[in-house]
Amino acid sequence: MNPEPFLQLDRVIHEKGRLPIVSLLAASPELAFTEIRDTLSMTDGNLSMHLRTLQEAGYVALTKSFQNRKPLTTCALTAAGRAAFANYINLLEEIVRQAKKV
Amino acid sequence: MEPNWAAEHLQVIRTLMERSAVYRRALAPMMLLTGLVGLAAASLGWGLGIDSPRSFIRYWLGISLVPLIGCFLLVRWQALRDGEAFWSPPTRRVAQAVLPAAVAALVVNLGILVQLGPGGASAASHFAHKTVLGWLPTGWVILYGCAIHAAGFFMPRGIKLFGWVFVVGGCALFLLGLPDSPGPLFAHGVMGFFFGGLHLAYGIYLYFTEKRKQAA
Repeated sequence: MNPEPFLQLDRVIHEKGRLPIVSLLAASPELAFTEIRDTLSMTDGNLSMHLRTLQEAGYVALTKSFQNRKPLTTCALTAAGRAAFANYINLLEEIVRQAKKV
Repeated sequence: MEPNWAAEHLQVIRTLMERSAVYRRALAPMMLLTGLVGLAAASLGWGLGIDSPRSFIRYWLGISLVPLIGCFLLVRWQALRDGEAFWSPPTRRVAQAVLPAAVAALVVNLGILVQLGPGGASAASHFAHKTVLGWLPTGWVILYGCAIHAAGFFMPRGIKLFGWVFVVGGCALFLLGLPDSPGPLFAHGVMGFFFGGLHLAYGIYLYFTEKRKQAA
């Protein structure tokens, strides 16, 4: 089996904690920090850490605002994040195709 | 390198994306409940001879609370059972999509009730009868279809088609011509057919198709 697609997988996305975050964001225009935390049953600290990594890679944009006088953090995939996620999916599909041929 | 992991990753991604975007809770039970309530209420309304415009509106406004509360309890129960948040992003999107048509229907009903007055001559007029027992149920069907169709953007594919059935059915009633003096049989019949029969049929279809999907 050609290991090339596997080697091309984006290591920022290809991580147990970050892949679910990116998957959720890919299906929504934006999600609140608490929605992601509750859906994935993550702790605040763990989610913050992963979001920071995604933000530093330019894949996620965070917006801070107030709703009913409470701070609200919303997260959204950037264009670069969507492109990287699409590329990641394509590579996974390529790996699946290769595995079927073997 | 284990090749299955890539397929498993894709499956996890698909599941998470659906969880984020698509509403999937208790559709079959909600449809079955609404259908049974609709059929029973239509039969009861006809049997009790609810035929005055005011009583017709009040009766169906009251009846609409039964499936509304029932569906709320069903969704809440399923969310608790699955350990998920009740007010999840998909639930919120569906509620937001349904809201404009629901508010419009409520305002129109209350407006007509106010216009009819407490039961005087205007309430008994031929125009009031034709408006309430003919046009109003048809309008409810169309508005409900619009609401369901809007919600269908955040629900499984068939829901949008279900919404279209209501919109097309309601419009067809208008186009084919409402009876000149619609009686309680026509009014309750329209309600029973659309809100009872169609929901029940779709609920039965969903029940068996969801069961088959779970078994697969």
